[in-house]
Amino acid sequence: MANDKELSDFLKSAEKRAFKRTAYAVRDEDAALDIVQDSMIRLAEKYADRPVAELPLIFGRILSNATMDWFRRQKVRQAAVQNFSDLESGAEDGDFDLLEALESVDGSWASQGPSERLSREQTLAIIDAEVSALPARQREAFLLRYWEELDTAETALVMGCSEGSVKTHCSRAVHALAKALAAKGLKP
Amino acid sequence: MNGTRVYRVDLDALQARFALRVTSRLSEQTEKLPHDLSERLRVAREQAVARARQLRLAQPATAPALQVSQGSIALGQPVSGWLRVASVLPLLLLVLGLMLIQHLHNQAEIHAAAEVDAALLADDLPPEAYSDPGFVVFLKQHEQ
Repeated sequence: MANDKELSDFLKSAEKRAFKRTAYAVRDEDAALDIVQDSMIRLAEKYADRPVAELPLIFGRILSNATMDWFRRQKVRQAAVQNFSDLESGAEDGDFDLLEALESVDGSWASQGPSERLSREQTLAIIDAEVSALPARQREAFLLRYWEELDTAETALVMGCSEGSVKTHCSRAVHALAKALAAKGLKP
Repeated sequence: MNGTRVYRVDLDALQARFALRVTSRLSEQTEKLPHDLSERLRVAREQAVARARQLRLAQPATAPALQVSQGSIALGQPVSGWLRVASVLPLLLLVLGLMLIQHLHNQAEIHAAAEVDAALLADDLPPEAYSDPGFVVFLKQHEQ
């Protein structure tokens, strides 16, 4: 059972990422803050007696549900469904060499090539924008898997889809980000 | 075949490494949230923790009350199956009691009817005499 300090520490560690993830989805900072606040209250009211180790998964699920509720309330579910569609194509990249782009991450983005001329803030802003531009399901899978550090099964549980879908979304997201960042000169 | 698997593992590892580099940049970016947003998140967190504390404090207030009425239930336990059984028990006893009363009442009625029948059959006067209008008139005259 999580005590007050453990609950507070967990929320403190998760709140900014939660806000950012939600803001990516709803594109509205005030709405994202409301959703995160509602999710925190729901977690505190119904799941504060759960072990600390379970909180990240539960909070992720609550946040996803709260975000979907927000879309429903906004009566733009059709748009959300369209955004959340699994039909994004990741296979039309022609001669883009993913392996080459990914291998380049062993070097430093900020030390070579055109990125030398970019300030650190610009680099961060570009990455932020490219993550924001990902299709919603890809972004959700990517952030849950690699930012929240959930495993594939947990990510699938939060997203309400299969583990295979999570792997596909993550792979496509990485592919799209690698390509977009490479096009911006963020590679060795 | 084996080469394909090795390539797959390498690709997965590269993807994970790339993704972790991206998310570390996102974390760096997120740490620089504007002050007002950070403050609003802090207030939201504190409200949530206060709510959890409030609910946690409210729980022990109801638990002893339950324990007093049900002496065998341990302190601090949530409402258990035993408590549910204990709360249904008085109702069950009431229903059984009513069924017993009904049964005894029926038995008494049967017994009384049997006594009347036995008295009629044992009497010198035949039972058919009671359906004879003349005999009824004779009885009324004698009562007067």
